[in-house]
Amino acid sequence: MNSTQSSGPAVHIESLDKYYGTFHALRKVNLSVERGERIVICGPSGSGKSTLIRCINRLEQHNGGRITVLGIELNDDVGNIDEVRREVGMVFQHFNLFPHMTVLENCMIAPMIVRKRPRAEAEATARRFLEKVRIPEQAAKFPGQLSGGQQQRVAIARALCMQPEIMLFDEPTSALDPEMISEVLDVMVTLASEGMTMICVTHEMGFARRVADRVVFMDGGEIVEEAPPEEFFTASRNERTRQFLSQVLKN
Amino acid sequence: MEMVIAAPPAPGRLEDLKRRFFATPFQALLSLISLAIMVFIVWKLLNWAVFSAVFTATGGPEACQAAAGACWSVIAARWRIILFGLYPFEEQWRSALACVAVVVMTVLSCIPAFWTGRRIALVWGAGTGLYYVLMKGGLLGLPYVGEEAWGGLALTLFIFVTTCLIGFPLAICLALLRRSDLPWISRTTGLIIDGVRSLPLISILFTFAIVLPFALPQWLAGDKLYRVILGSALFFSAYQAEIVRGGMQGVPSGQEEAAMALGMSYWQRIGRIVLPQAMRNALPATINQFVVAFKETSLVVIVGFFEILASGNAAYGTGEWRFAYVEVYAFIALIYFVFVFSLSRYGAYLERRMSVGER
Repeated sequence: MNSTQSSGPAVHIESLDKYYGTFHALRKVNLSVERGERIVICGPSGSGKSTLIRCINRLEQHNGGRITVLGIELNDDVGNIDEVRREVGMVFQHFNLFPHMTVLENCMIAPMIVRKRPRAEAEATARRFLEKVRIPEQAAKFPGQLSGGQQQRVAIARALCMQPEIMLFDEPTSALDPEMISEVLDVMVTLASEGMTMICVTHEMGFARRVADRVVFMDGGEIVEEAPPEEFFTASRNERTRQFLSQVLKN
Repeated sequence: MEMVIAAPPAPGRLEDLKRRFFATPFQALLSLISLAIMVFIVWKLLNWAVFSAVFTATGGPEACQAAAGACWSVIAARWRIILFGLYPFEEQWRSALACVAVVVMTVLSCIPAFWTGRRIALVWGAGTGLYYVLMKGGLLGLPYVGEEAWGGLALTLFIFVTTCLIGFPLAICLALLRRSDLPWISRTTGLIIDGVRSLPLISILFTFAIVLPFALPQWLAGDKLYRVILGSALFFSAYQAEIVRGGMQGVPSGQEEAAMALGMSYWQRIGRIVLPQAMRNALPATINQFVVAFKETSLVVIVGFFEILASGNAAYGTGEWRFAYVEVYAFIALIYFVFVFSLSRYGAYLERRMSVGER
C-alpha cells in the first residue's frame, strides 16, 4: 500500500537551490501547495519555472533545500522517487507521447507495468479518460496521426490514467497552433473544476484568471510575487511583475 | 475569365523509350551498341549455363570435358560434401535435419507473433538444442560425431546464428553501459568496443582458437568451435553496440523523461520506450551488420573449420573434378545469395512494418 499521507500540504518546498554547473537556476525558493489547490507559475523565459516543477517529480535533482511531496521527502532514496512519480502526473510542452504505441497503448502501459493493473482494467480506465479528454474515437491511432491539440489531450489522459494526486503542466500549450490552444485549456479547466491539485507553468493569463487559486511570478530563479489572480493582475506590487504583465497582456 | 491548364499528357511507353535512348542519331548508335553487347553477354552466359551444360552425373567428368558448357554434374556428384563437409556419410541426414532446425528457428523468430520473451526463448532453446543433439549425437541411439567433423552449410548456419544470438544481446548491454552516467563505466566500455573494433576479425578468431587454450584451464577452454563462436560474437557485438547506441541517440530525451514521470523503472524505460524506438532507427545498419556477419563466417576456415566455402574447395579439389571449380563456386554463391537476399528482404519488410506510426 502507499504510504502517502492524506493530510498536510500536497507539495512543500523549502529554500530550494538548483545549479547547472555554476549557473544558479533556483535561489532559495519556498512554495507550499495545498491539496486541491490550483497554482499557475509564470515569468519570463529562463526564470526557472520549468526547473522548479521538474524538481517536484525529480526530473531535475535539486542541490539544496527540501522538497516534500504528499509527505514523502525527495532525496536519493529511489523508492521515494518512484512513489512520488506514481502519484504525480506530468504534461510536457512537446507532448512526449510514445510514437511506437497507439493512443490506447500510450494510456495503458504505465498502469499495467508500474501499477500492475490487469490489462482489461487498464483498458477500461484508458477509454474512460480518453472519453474525458474528448477523443475516444482516436484510440487505435498512432500519435503521429493526430494534431498537436489532440496529442496534448492524449498526453493529459495518459497522465490521468495513473490516477495521480497531483498534476504538473509544463507549458502545455506553448507548442500548439493558436486554434488548438482552447481545446487543451478546456480539458484543464474541467480537471480543475473536479478538484485536482494542479501546478501549471503557462503564459495563458486567461486560464490563470479563470482557474488559479494563486499565481506565482518568477524571475531570475526566485519567486518574486505570489497572489490570488485578481490581486495579481490588478494590484501587483512589484515592478518586474508589472513589466512582465504589460508585455504578456499586450498580445 | 477562366483558364484551364491541363497537365501535359503522360508519354506512352514507346514515346518514353524513344526520348530516352534514341533522341539523336549518335545516341541511337550508342544505345544499339550497348544493347548488342548485353545480348551477346546474356547469350554466352545462358549458352554456358544451360544450353551446352551437362546436368547429370552419369557420364562422369569425361562427359563434361567433352561438352562446351558448364559442368553441373559436379554438383550432382559432390553436393553432399559441399553441404555437409566432413560429416560421416551415413549420418548426413542428421546434418540436413539440423540445417532445417536452424532455418525454421530463424524464420520463426522473425515472425512478430513470436516476439515475447517466453516464446522467443522457447524457439531459440528448442532450435539450438535440437541442432546440438542432432549434430553431436551420443544419445537416443545416434552415434557420436565430434565438432571437428562438423562442416558445410550446417556449420556456416550454426556459426552465424549463434554469433547473432550471443552477439546481439551483448551489443545491447555494451551500448547501455556506454551511455552510463558513471564516467568510469562508459569510458571502460568505450575502450573495450574501440579495442575490439581496431583488431581484424582473423586475429580475434586466431586468438580465441589457438592462443586462449594456453591461458585458460582445460575445463574452461571448451571446444575450439565454441571459442571461435565467442570470438566472432564479441567482434559482432562491438560493431552492433555502436549501431544500437546511434539508434538510441536518435530517441528524443523527452521520451525517457515522459517514461520517468509515469514512474517506470530503468529497465521498463529501456525495454518498453527507448530500445523499441532505437532499434527502429538502427534497423538499416543492423541488417547490414547481419549480412556482413553471415559472409564473415567463411573466415573460420583459417582456424581449421570446413564451413561451406572450404567444403566447396574440398568438393572440386580431388583429381577428377579439378576443372569444375567455377560451377562449384557458382553453386555456393547461389546458396549465400538465397540466405543474404532473404535477410535483406526481411529487413525491408520490418522497415515497412515499423514505419506504421512514423511521426
